[in-house]
Amino acid sequence: MPEEENLLDDACYLDHGVSGYGVAVKLHAEKPLPPEEIAGLLREMMDEIARDCVARGARFVGHIKSHLVCSQGTLKADTIGVKHPAASHGELRGPAKDLYVAINSIVQGISEEEVKQATLAAAHSLAERHRLRVVKEREHLYFDEYDFASDEEHIAQLQAQFENEPEQEDPQR
Amino acid sequence: MAKQNLRVVQIAGFLGSGKTTLLLQLSRRLSEERGLKIAMVVNEIGEIPVDGKVMEESGMKVKDIGGGCICCEVATAFAKSIADLARTFSPDLVLVEPTGVAIPRQVKAAAAMSGRTVTIEAGPVIVLFDSTRPEELLDPELMGRLVTAQLSDADIVAVSKADAVNEAQLEFARAAAREVIPTAEFIAVSATTGRGVDQLLERIAPGTEAGGDAANRGGIDPDSATRQGGE
Repeated sequence: MPEEENLLDDACYLDHGVSGYGVAVKLHAEKPLPPEEIAGLLREMMDEIARDCVARGARFVGHIKSHLVCSQGTLKADTIGVKHPAASHGELRGPAKDLYVAINSIVQGISEEEVKQATLAAAHSLAERHRLRVVKEREHLYFDEYDFASDEEHIAQLQAQFENEPEQEDPQR
Repeated sequence: MAKQNLRVVQIAGFLGSGKTTLLLQLSRRLSEERGLKIAMVVNEIGEIPVDGKVMEESGMKVKDIGGGCICCEVATAFAKSIADLARTFSPDLVLVEPTGVAIPRQVKAAAAMSGRTVTIEAGPVIVLFDSTRPEELLDPELMGRLVTAQLSDADIVAVSKADAVNEAQLEFARAAAREVIPTAEFIAVSATTGRGVDQLLERIAPGTEAGGDAANRGGIDPDSATRQGGE
């Protein structure tokens, strides 16, 4: 094997054309959404990001994953590609109005900017379809799935991190 | 002052192979059933860690490293984290989850950089291989080169998501990975059903037993680790 190919075997993701984008969004509904609808929208969001990334030219979906926190508990959803429907894990205790969702999309073959656009487009379109408003969004917000604090404490931590982000305009107003 | 010994076990594998789910189950069982003091180092692309966001539960400590891959971009931060964990927490065992695109041998080399203050005892490199998409993963036109490089560094290949495929598909995945690294031990694993988890626990923490207290028995005994051939 030529030397340069050996070098590629030791190379990390940047050399293999892998792009990652992470963002957190706070969603708000006027009326509380039932748990099954929240889980469904999270799975739909994962599938939609994967589809959009592929439509934009991604050759391989590495992992598109999300972590949702609300007053009724936490949920996770992820997909590893358009041939693999998204799965969700966890259970909410009841309906919720305010949802904090972290999304991390990692794919091969398109730029980070394209991954960003696909991720944000899916977050906004799913929110709209489910009568939610994107109140705030922030890149690199820290959601810690190992956080064993209570849901209330966790939400307080997330709110503190969102504090300096401007609230997004409500298109209904 | 004598250097502290620290056993470091890497749970590697490509994106979406189930590393996080397995790591959570392994760490809980090592802590609850074997009385081990566990620290975890988790690295992910696309996120930035927040200082001081270290969570503890049942003797487990988590250090999240962001801003790049610990096998290259933030290798120094990783080495420092290992040294800091040894100094401030004195765990029996550190479980490392690199990004899904990291090369295990480079993660191992990065961990060794903490050797100025800590003596690293490298445990087995466990590489997860997703049984639901073996052909996709090994396709040289896609990510096959990277996945092959990851598998090549494995002491143990954990053929993951064993609950999501039938036995023939599982065997297909195992055979595909075995072509890359015939010398590794192969264990079919499901974090959902618990299949293969006991075997992994024994490889990760040899000489400890369920219901035991590692501290009273002198901790992990690396010499008792034996190759048992997997499934």
